[in-house]
Amino acid sequence: MTKYVLKRLGLAVITAYIVLSLTFICVKLLPFERPLGGDAVQTAYFDKQYHLGYVQRFEYENPSYGELLYKTKPDKGRSYYYYQVPVLEQYGKWISNIVTKWDWGYSKNYQPNVAATVIIGSRIGYSMKLNIISTLLAVPIGILFGIWAALKKNTMTDHTISTLVMVFISVPSFVLISFMMRVFCYNLQWLPSTWPADTAPFWNRVKGYIIPVFCLSFGSICLYCRYVRAELCEILESDYLLLARTKGLTRRQAIVRHALKNAMVPVFPMVLGEVLSIMGGSMILENLYSIPGVGKLFILSLNYRDFDILFVDMAIFTTFGLMAGVLIDLSYGFIDPRIRMGAKK
Amino acid sequence: MKKVLAILLALVMVFGVVACNPVKPTETPTEAPTEAPTDKEVEWDGAYLEEDDYKAYIKYDLQNMYDGIVDELTADQKTAVDAAKKAGEDAIDAAETIADVRKAYKDAFAAILNCVPLADGLISYSNSNNDARTTMLGILEKYAISTGITGISLFEDGGYQMFNPRITLGTETYIVGYGFGTLAEGAITADLDYEENADWKRYYHTYESDDPGTLNYLNDQGSVVGDLYGYIAASFFTTFMNETKDGYDWVPELAKEKPVAVNDDDNDGSATTWKFAVRTGKDGLKYTTNSTIASRAAFNNREVALEDYETAFKLLLTQSNQLYRGSELANSTTGAIVGAKDFYNGTAEGYSAELWDKVGITTFEENGKEYFQVTFSTALTQFYAMYYITSSLYQPIPQEFIDLVTVQNYLGYNLDATETPLDNALCLGAYAVENYTQDQQIVYKKNPNYVYADTKYQIGGIHFKIFPAAKEDTEAALNEFLAGHFDAAGIPQEHLDEYRNDPRTRTTKGTSNFKINVNATNAETWEYLFGENGVVTQTPKEDYWDVKPALGNHHFIQGLNYSIDRLTFATARGSIPSVDYLSSNYMSDPENGIAYSATDAHAKAVKQLVDNTDGCGYSLELARDYFKVALAELEADGAYTPGTKENPTVISIEIAWMYETHEERYHNEIKRLMEEAFNDESVTGGLYKLEVNFWVGNTWSDVYYNKMMIGQFDIGFGSISGNALNPLDFLSVLSSDPEISGSFTLNWGCDTNDADVYPIVYKGQRFSFDALYKAANATAVVNNGQNKASLTFDYTEIVKNADGSYTGSMVITPALPDLSVVTVTDVVCCDYERYYNGDEEYEEESVAFEVKEENNTYIVTFTVSVELAAKYANGNGTSEEPEGYTGFDFYYDFELDGSLSSGLYYSVEDYFEVE
Repeated sequence: MTKYVLKRLGLAVITAYIVLSLTFICVKLLPFERPLGGDAVQTAYFDKQYHLGYVQRFEYENPSYGELLYKTKPDKGRSYYYYQVPVLEQYGKWISNIVTKWDWGYSKNYQPNVAATVIIGSRIGYSMKLNIISTLLAVPIGILFGIWAALKKNTMTDHTISTLVMVFISVPSFVLISFMMRVFCYNLQWLPSTWPADTAPFWNRVKGYIIPVFCLSFGSICLYCRYVRAELCEILESDYLLLARTKGLTRRQAIVRHALKNAMVPVFPMVLGEVLSIMGGSMILENLYSIPGVGKLFILSLNYRDFDILFVDMAIFTTFGLMAGVLIDLSYGFIDPRIRMGAKK
Repeated sequence: MKKVLAILLALVMVFGVVACNPVKPTETPTEAPTEAPTDKEVEWDGAYLEEDDYKAYIKYDLQNMYDGIVDELTADQKTAVDAAKKAGEDAIDAAETIADVRKAYKDAFAAILNCVPLADGLISYSNSNNDARTTMLGILEKYAISTGITGISLFEDGGYQMFNPRITLGTETYIVGYGFGTLAEGAITADLDYEENADWKRYYHTYESDDPGTLNYLNDQGSVVGDLYGYIAASFFTTFMNETKDGYDWVPELAKEKPVAVNDDDNDGSATTWKFAVRTGKDGLKYTTNSTIASRAAFNNREVALEDYETAFKLLLTQSNQLYRGSELANSTTGAIVGAKDFYNGTAEGYSAELWDKVGITTFEENGKEYFQVTFSTALTQFYAMYYITSSLYQPIPQEFIDLVTVQNYLGYNLDATETPLDNALCLGAYAVENYTQDQQIVYKKNPNYVYADTKYQIGGIHFKIFPAAKEDTEAALNEFLAGHFDAAGIPQEHLDEYRNDPRTRTTKGTSNFKINVNATNAETWEYLFGENGVVTQTPKEDYWDVKPALGNHHFIQGLNYSIDRLTFATARGSIPSVDYLSSNYMSDPENGIAYSATDAHAKAVKQLVDNTDGCGYSLELARDYFKVALAELEADGAYTPGTKENPTVISIEIAWMYETHEERYHNEIKRLMEEAFNDESVTGGLYKLEVNFWVGNTWSDVYYNKMMIGQFDIGFGSISGNALNPLDFLSVLSSDPEISGSFTLNWGCDTNDADVYPIVYKGQRFSFDALYKAANATAVVNNGQNKASLTFDYTEIVKNADGSYTGSMVITPALPDLSVVTVTDVVCCDYERYYNGDEEYEEESVAFEVKEENNTYIVTFTVSVELAAKYANGNGTSEEPEGYTGFDFYYDFELDGSLSSGLYYSVEDYFEVE
């Protein structure tokens, strides 16, 4: 088992390395775009890139070198020419900066000069908190409704739950949050209409969680409910459950001891999968509710061509994604003893 | 069932693929059929309008040009111009074809130009009074409108603003250039219930869409940081509302008095050197910070020292600090400070005390008073001396504080974000930073140390909510206002009818005029400006913009201009319809608050835009007629050939916008107006079709940086605001010369330094736009009516002599040889490049040179000895490895019209062959 875990972790590291390398190379292969701003800003930026090793600077035109990115305005006859360093050379420099200095680079346009890791670090907490709370809320509620619907299969309860699930799963989150803000924030004025600042009183900050948590967990609740219902319905009609009942177990005993445990086999990895989104946040939700999370940062970094932020974002998502994958695989063994991974034949 | 589902799934996927990759519609060929159109009644030589009408429009052009210059002609010139104009009109009347009419116009144009001599010499009108400055502004504006480089104005950004009833405004009537005096003279009379923090309930609550992440206006180009910084910083002088509450007065802020001329030798009220007493710790002036970091808190209530005033300029102008506003100050043509540019250029590696001594900024004590003295490069009146030295950028700062926080982190975050702008700012303004929570809020608290803390800015603080929803949703801010969370909000278009007459609503004037800016270049001009070796930016061949010939035709632009129903368009959007380039915020007489828009000079400049229209430049009839004129000319030029009714020639134009929301908000209506005007049956009978397409970038600023500023556009939406108190200076953004415009040009068309493009006449002399602009704001070196560099340098590469030494030469040509004396003091070869790259210590050595004066030029021939050539070549690369390039600096003194500048240099790069 240890060997299997180590092997999976090793593979995860290699996969992360490949994903990040491909991301870096693909992004760097995009047509180069200058930073926003005038000459002074441009020159300052290119000088920084030069010192980072991503561009080469000459005092003369050197067409044989590569793509000319920028030429400073002549000043008393002197101009500087900045050329793109080959992408693989940049890649080597990038790896070396990370490995030797843990330097992931700095924001170019979004928050100039601030380290990309710091920008992500200051925002990830908000997204994580929101998503953890919404997951903690969604899992039990979703499973409970799923069980209830399965146990009441083909009754009015089941139909009502299933219909509501279908309706709510179809409502886009921005519609839901806009509706909730209109009713609870502007009309009734019970809840804050924007994310309360860190300096706000405690209860105000607690109230600030209600709308985003509700909106984030709504979709998950419906999803868990649907899956649990489907799995449980199938298991409830299976032969082994019939056997369990014929052996004298009560319906409750049969469901709790056998049906539920097996129904959780495909659901549990789904919950772990949801953990992935903990890092992701929600772009629309964060924008509409002014939440300073990482959800919109990913898109912002693309819009601002702030690729150093993008790389850190990617590194985090990739790492968490792969780790979650490893955890999911390992969890199968614990949930279902028949599954033994890495065991010798 | 599964099969059905599988088929459905497959259909959905196919549909999805098709939806994502829509089939490209069959492109309408822009090439017209070779045969002549048969379904149009050809009335006059292939034109789309009657002979008399066409001639009338061309004669109107001639009259318009005449009107623009007639007031500035001498009596003799007027007689000659009148004759040339009359001859031109007669020739137009007699013309039989479109080509004849155009030739007659061109001949008359040339004849009129010949009546007025081109300006020459060293010319400065910067010292002119307000009337003369307004006249020059009108002349330049008329030129810009006539050549189409003002773009097409849509509306002024003023409109309607709602205020919370708890706010008492400084005045109920908006003051142009000042506002309502909300913070400076206003008050808050009740708590904001929504605010949970008891201390902030009486703060003014507003919002910003994005957290700029810094308050460092010294290194920022946008307006958000400038606005935020303005509250916490003080200037030498400021403005406050006057007693009658209908205007404003200039008052000293950090200064204690208005500037006093030091060298007004001819007693005309203007001088280059001005001094004024300033406040320091001796007057009780102290810095404020609310930081809790001990090292920063130590600066709280620290007294302002006199040398702190100089430190602010040193910080800004030291090039190695890489502060954008420093570069701007160093390179400014108007209000330029003596020595500032040389100091900036000489401090790439850090501060230089030697160069600072030559900068026209000093502080000193005299008779117990502490003074700040500034020397401008051109003489200025007291008002403009005060105006140019008034900026929050020049707020004093102790050098120890900069050393502590570092230049990079000043007014911003440090690299690990453990310090916020709250910690890295020292405040002298009306407010001080109280809280800076990233992406959440910025809070300012009244600064007890502010100079006017007792009498002005009685509102206890300002709370800026970071509210990104405002960007996406036009109603978001209004919703917050109506819920009582913000103290003010604009009214979006959809709610105008509902809230226009609400008692909380006030009407505002605009600070900026929004326009659709036009790329009116032809392929040749575009390549000159933006091509592979463009003077503005360099573009690879494959990315060349496909310029539209129609936009290069001024009559076509006029057609577009007249097609916009601004009155309906702007009013429906809560803005003020405007055909002007400058908003009503710009001042003709800034001391007395007289707006330029109210002057005769302006009325004369815009006459051509509003004549025979609804007063706001809209006339469907004129629009269609000008389209007809344009098409006749474009066809005559071979730019387009007409299509058929079934297959019309499509003129496709793209308008670039800032936001996706602009499509619905602005684009669709503009598109409709333009297309309906052009595509009407009466214009070409369906032989042409105008298509106006929408474009938007990833961020709002893409429309500037990735479109208009680099020529990659047809039409782009936007606005630039400038010195509202000095609109003559602001016209720099109309120049096609990036040295003058600071690369902020949005409309491109003619070369604004070509005096023959369209006549500009001032005081009986003819100028290019750039030349008169420069002369009006500073001192222009004018040659043949054009603005010129005072010296041009032409280097001839070194050649190897038989003895192994090298010889090269430099030709220095003064633009005004009669007024210029050049003395070459030294020629050196140096390893600057290797030093700059951090490879070596800097080294330079003089070489032998001689100077010959010939035909008003100075020919410098220099020889590098064998030993010296070997020293700079050996170990420094070869011709194959050009890292071995060597610098040659030509040091010289330059006297222009008796004014000597010494220690100047010009550099070139060259290399020695290595055997």
